[in-house]
Amino acid sequence: MFLEKGRISNFQLSVLIIGFVLGSSVIISPGGEGAGHDAWIACALGLMEGLLIAWIFTALTKLFKDKTLIEINSLVYGKILGNGISLLFIGYLFHLSALVLTNYGQFFKLQIYPATPKTLSLLLLMLVCASTVNRGIEVLARCSLILVPIIILVVFTDTLLLIPHIDLNNLMPVLDAPIGKLLLASHGAASFPFAETVAFLMVLAFVDKPEKGPAAVSRGLLIAGFILIMAVARNVAVLGQMAEITNYPTYLVAQVIDIGDILTRLHVLVAISLITMGFIKISVLFYGTVLGLAQVFNLRSYRPIILPVGILMVILALTNVGNTQEMFDFVNKGYPIYAIPFQIGIPLITLVVAKLRRLPQKGELDA
Amino acid sequence: MKREKRIKIYVAILLTIMPGFLSGCWDSHELNTLSIVSGLGWDIDQDTGEVTLTYQSIIPSEIESSSSSNEGGGQKGGNPLRAIQLDQDTGASPYEVLSRYAQHASRIPFYEHTQVYIFGKDGVQRGIYPFLDTQARNPVSRPNALMVVSAEKTASDILGVQDGMENIQAFGMAAEIKLSATFSKFPAVTVLQFQNRLLSKTTAPIAPMVGIFEQTGREGKKTQKIRVVGTAVFKGDRMIGELNERESSGLLWAINEIKIGFVTIPEANLEIVKAKSKIVPELQGDQVKITIEIDQESNLVQYNGHQGITADLVQELEKGQAKEIESQVRAAVEKSFDLEADVFGFGDAVHRKYKKEWKELKPRWDDIYPCIEVVIKAKTHINEIGEINQALIKD
Repeated sequence: MFLEKGRISNFQLSVLIIGFVLGSSVIISPGGEGAGHDAWIACALGLMEGLLIAWIFTALTKLFKDKTLIEINSLVYGKILGNGISLLFIGYLFHLSALVLTNYGQFFKLQIYPATPKTLSLLLLMLVCASTVNRGIEVLARCSLILVPIIILVVFTDTLLLIPHIDLNNLMPVLDAPIGKLLLASHGAASFPFAETVAFLMVLAFVDKPEKGPAAVSRGLLIAGFILIMAVARNVAVLGQMAEITNYPTYLVAQVIDIGDILTRLHVLVAISLITMGFIKISVLFYGTVLGLAQVFNLRSYRPIILPVGILMVILALTNVGNTQEMFDFVNKGYPIYAIPFQIGIPLITLVVAKLRRLPQKGELDA
Repeated sequence: MKREKRIKIYVAILLTIMPGFLSGCWDSHELNTLSIVSGLGWDIDQDTGEVTLTYQSIIPSEIESSSSSNEGGGQKGGNPLRAIQLDQDTGASPYEVLSRYAQHASRIPFYEHTQVYIFGKDGVQRGIYPFLDTQARNPVSRPNALMVVSAEKTASDILGVQDGMENIQAFGMAAEIKLSATFSKFPAVTVLQFQNRLLSKTTAPIAPMVGIFEQTGREGKKTQKIRVVGTAVFKGDRMIGELNERESSGLLWAINEIKIGFVTIPEANLEIVKAKSKIVPELQGDQVKITIEIDQESNLVQYNGHQGITADLVQELEKGQAKEIESQVRAAVEKSFDLEADVFGFGDAVHRKYKKEWKELKPRWDDIYPCIEVVIKAKTHINEIGEINQALIKD
């Protein structure tokens, strides 16, 4: 069954992962809830946890080369149970892509386009993603090669321009948050965004050098993690305690930029990075969803179901939260627990069961 | 061939559809439908608690015409305030006033370029929390706008006084306040800084105060000017007192906000080249001891004596200078003890160094604060003595 003929290089995979991790985290600082001005520490600890989780799911793909999670599941658990678990995982990918759309929609409704109907802005973004997914993983990977460096440049430029406003006193005293709260916040940072790379279980099969896939994943995670830690620390250093109470600190911080009254009002750059990185994240998740569905139901192609899934995604994104506070409540309180079975549970159990059953047996991989 | 044709058709379709989306129908704001608010005044009636907002908006057409009339022989006799329009509204809450103004302004008020928020003296004594909340909650306003307290009765008094060289009064006022901060006289406080001081709970927010100053010009013609006259000290969202010029300067010395400026001592005038200060807290049991360490470098720009400059004299001047700085800081400290308001952020400094003890100190900080022992150590150095080394008139 060859639903996807494209192949991506390991370098492209790393860049894609950077774009994916930056995703909506370019506006929603990871680890902000509870850790206060120690958010960057929570973020760093979250990165460690994320790397650990990545190690689990890349071990799985190392075992089963050229197989997506859906195929692995049916090999490990048998057709019926395997497909059941696969559907749960696909449901998670679908929900997650709707959540990213929600982040995007809420942010734009509040900050940029208050009068434009959310449906329209979401629909337009979804159509762009759908068209990319339609063209396959190779096109998406090449898109990321162009977009991700630009956004990294934007983040670094923002940080450089903010140096005059940085007050390191705002980061003191280090480790002020109680240890329990800090760990909770770091788990929050791990579940969003680092461990979400579990979605790459649907993509890793198409890497041209699968034995080096795990290294590419951790490289991407490390670079993206470093960028996020820097951004979080910068936000707190510039905004002080306002970083904790404002919904979108990165957006507020860009408003502070003022180089000689000339270089000001750069915050729309932040909105642009949300659009582009959100596009990459949604596309990867969208791709995983439709590819997974096609594999579960043995379709010849995943293309016909792109638009229906996309429209359902927009509907879910429009209805799943009533307001921004509900969104943040879910992101900070519900999501870290909700995501555990998908981010850790499914890959870990599958790996253990596969090891116990001494899978993959010889010849099975070629079948 | 066929493929090329198809691509051309696709591109044509795309180009026809795109303009519809790119113009952003719903959220388009054309300049000629906007009233750009340059300054916003905020007053509260002491008795009824009613809110009065004063809008200073820019009239774009007048800005253009004033620059062209300059070529034709200046703008004598013209109204210096014609580039701005002042308007007022009163209501029970800030948002009621905002919406009322939006209805009769004929243009949509646009707050993204608001440079200053001015609070009438009566209003700040009653508390400005509704305003602070409105400002922080709404995405249109900027964290860089300046907070100003009017030393006159109301904010609208200040917004109508032309000063400086700017067509738009609020822009001129913002520039004046920033310059007073550059010359290390009064602090320039942005909304973000104000919010952070508010959030810290122990540190008291501050804001510069602007007053009207009457100047008698040629032929006894009186003109009104605006000047920064002091620093307002807040407790929470209420103003509780003010620092005068000397105390404001002392405050800036202590919180490391000295940029350039002058130190005047009886014998000489010195120009500050470099200044740095540090607040070092120390806990001895329940007693808090704060050391303010100031390092300053300056140049001699004027000397009143009639003798040649010697190394001994330079040392003497350095000592005199250090004494002057210390006395300025001391004045600010005494005043803040009187007001029981931690304008220096001593509490935050203690928090940074003693995070465990702070939990216990924080709730009692208001009681602890006036009993703090403050030591001020100023170290100064004179770099240059200027182009002459002897006095013009010798003893």
